[in-house]
Amino acid sequence: MFSLKKLLFKAGSPEHLPDDVRAAIEAWRNLPAPELDDAHFHVRYLVIDIVSTGLNPDSDELLGIAATAVSQGGMVQPEDAFYLDFASFDGDSATVDRQLMAFLQFAAKAPLVTYHVPYVGGFLQRLYKERLGINFEPQWVDLAWLLPVMFEEKSHTLLPLDQWLELFGLEAGGARRDAMANTLMLARLFQMLLVRVTDKDITTAARLIDESRASSFLRRTH
Amino acid sequence: MNPLETSLRQEGRRRVAGNTLAFLKNHAPFDKMGAEALQVFADKAQLAFHPAGSEIVGPAAGNVRFFYLIESGKVQARQAGEVTVTEYSILSLGAGESFPIGAVTAGRPSTNTYTAVEDTFCYQLPAEDFLRLMASSPEFNLFCTQYIASLLDQSRRQLQLQFAQRASEQQTLNSPLAGIGSRSPVSVAPETPLRAALEKMSQAGVGSLVIAGEDRQPVGVFTRSDLLDRVVLADLPHDVPISQAMSANPFKLEEHATAYDAMLAMATHGIRHVLVTDAEGKLTGVVSERDLFALQRVGLRQIRQSIEGAHNVEALQHAAADVRQLAFNMLAQGVGAEQLTQFISALNDALTRRVIQLNLDKHNFEGIDWAWLAFGSEGRDEQTFSTDQDNGIVFACPDTDAVDALRQRFLAYALDVNKDLDRCGFPLCKGNIMASNPQWCLTLDEWRDQFSNWIRVPQPEALLNATIFFDFRPLFGKIELAESMRRHLLAQTSSNPMFLRAMAHNALDVEPPLGKIRDFLTDLEPDQPGKIDLKKYGSRIFVDVARIYALATGVHNTNSVQRLRLASKRLSIRDEEINAILEGLDFIQLLRLQHQYLEGEPGTQGDNLINPDTLNELDRRILKESFRQARKLQTRLKLDYQVN
Repeated sequence: MFSLKKLLFKAGSPEHLPDDVRAAIEAWRNLPAPELDDAHFHVRYLVIDIVSTGLNPDSDELLGIAATAVSQGGMVQPEDAFYLDFASFDGDSATVDRQLMAFLQFAAKAPLVTYHVPYVGGFLQRLYKERLGINFEPQWVDLAWLLPVMFEEKSHTLLPLDQWLELFGLEAGGARRDAMANTLMLARLFQMLLVRVTDKDITTAARLIDESRASSFLRRTH
Repeated sequence: MNPLETSLRQEGRRRVAGNTLAFLKNHAPFDKMGAEALQVFADKAQLAFHPAGSEIVGPAAGNVRFFYLIESGKVQARQAGEVTVTEYSILSLGAGESFPIGAVTAGRPSTNTYTAVEDTFCYQLPAEDFLRLMASSPEFNLFCTQYIASLLDQSRRQLQLQFAQRASEQQTLNSPLAGIGSRSPVSVAPETPLRAALEKMSQAGVGSLVIAGEDRQPVGVFTRSDLLDRVVLADLPHDVPISQAMSANPFKLEEHATAYDAMLAMATHGIRHVLVTDAEGKLTGVVSERDLFALQRVGLRQIRQSIEGAHNVEALQHAAADVRQLAFNMLAQGVGAEQLTQFISALNDALTRRVIQLNLDKHNFEGIDWAWLAFGSEGRDEQTFSTDQDNGIVFACPDTDAVDALRQRFLAYALDVNKDLDRCGFPLCKGNIMASNPQWCLTLDEWRDQFSNWIRVPQPEALLNATIFFDFRPLFGKIELAESMRRHLLAQTSSNPMFLRAMAHNALDVEPPLGKIRDFLTDLEPDQPGKIDLKKYGSRIFVDVARIYALATGVHNTNSVQRLRLASKRLSIRDEEINAILEGLDFIQLLRLQHQYLEGEPGTQGDNLINPDTLNELDRRILKESFRQARKLQTRLKLDYQVN
């Protein structure tokens, strides 16, 4: 990991990207965004979690991305998952760029679900900006803000993830979870959330994303 | 998709599956399954969330598309419809338990409604992957097979419950009077002249008479004992109305009163008859002391004693009726079909032996070696309630010139035995497979030649005979003669593979009545539409295959269950596989017994024709599974003997 930071954040620059990566970026930009006015059943959500050396997206390093799709009526699909590990990485700078592109291709502009968007999104935004020159601004669903709104009876304030898991009776799975285990836990919370929001008449992805945005805005400003 | 994205996706999948694997390894039967099979499960199983109160799968959802494994939470299985077909009506399932195994195996709708009672997460494996897993993992296959077998078990218990209810209705003193005693008592009007009333009693052959008015309200009873006191000794003229001689104000009970009430009344009032009336007081029946005695149970020991102590056919006839009653009681007490048929056979054997012995009084075969043989279902210890006679005689006669004279003596003797057996409830064989037929009253050498001929030239008739006569068993006399026949038979068949192949070909003529569209084919018997012959299309398939494997592996037994067990050991067929097959046979036999007893009129020949639509849901499922086992057995035979 001695040169990881250098490799990830300094070595590359958008001007010197390999041709195939440039082409991939172009193709990705032209990719149409999925239809979000569809019922949840038809939407492919991606639940995502990251591993980092610390909590500050501006100074700490991203070590890995784990993602799994929740689709076809809120089911975790093992065949539609993704895992990127920089910690054990030993390739060159161009490979890093290609891996980052691979994640974008996998995600295919699907709405992303995570716990605490400023943290996860912060790391991804900085990395994609610095290395690929991309403004990474996906549609986010933030469980950290939505859970207290949708499950008021359990808690109406922000809580650490582990406390939510405990409230839902989900086994936290020992002291440390790897990124994928964590993603799968988030997926479960999201599966329950999907049922709850549907009951509350939030039936499309677009409305859920709006709700997520509103909840975090309201909480922060009031 | 570029290779890099592919490999990162693979890594993602590997890790999601890893999470599932960790769960599977903590739960049976997955903890015993091979790594490869587990990987298939983990790669394919989706995780779904079912909030409390939601239905996961039910009968209305159509053919089941997934196998569900509960990851966390609680699921309730509730029987659909009003009739309970398993012993539970509601069953609670928790983490690590799976459903609906029967339905997903069979690819049909679930009979239960599965509802999440708590927030529940379930892994759901698509049906095609489930079936692949069943085919590739012996552990998983065993788990599912055993599960289905336990369904069989449950259904059997359910059947027994039905029997028990019926038995207790018949046997206990708690049953209502409506079902006991005479339902059409002989009655006369009060003004009937005494003489006419007595004539009526005499004609009907009854010991008591009810006197009832036009409104059918009983006003009195007249019995034979009244005749002495009130008519003869009282010098009553024969033209007075019966009302002057009867006991007025007879003791009455309503129909819903129990046998116990009647017994108490008889003991309290010192009477022998109780009149039974409906709610309006109208006469509907008479219960006598004797009717109540008949409710008492018959025991195995009494029957054996009465058989062995019987000195004539009349006494044996009573014993034969008792055998039937006792068999029925045992069925109600939960004895399985295998043991039950053997039990019926054992008592029938005792009966037959007694008939044979009694007839020896009139025929003397001193100094001659001979044995009475049982064939067919009797030879296999598989008698149901209605079985006709299949028997023969083997005798030794060193002097060839004396054979025919001796045969005539045996034939005369056998005719007497056959007739007596018929009177005891074993009808004469329609195909004349009886010891009184010269064809089946043979010397040891003649039997051996007969067997050899059938085996050497497997013509259709020879093959048919083989299915009857090769299942022989000595019932009486010199056992060694039969043993000698058996050794000869096994030596011949094992050196004639062509014969076994021809037998196999024959055994595959009839297939289990499984439909491609409907569950069952019910139009195979042209004159019995809607019905399935459980013998022809069910048990016989097992019996035929069992015979072939027994002959092929040198098994001396004739009973099909024993044959299959022993032969499968010699052929290294796995226990689980053979157990599932035997469960199937057992179930079909049990259904036959049930049908013959519950649906047949008491005392008449039952048939083997059932209408699958009249079975309850679970029985239908299990019958289907049993037929599948029959098909499995046939498939195996097909492969082993290269019959197409």
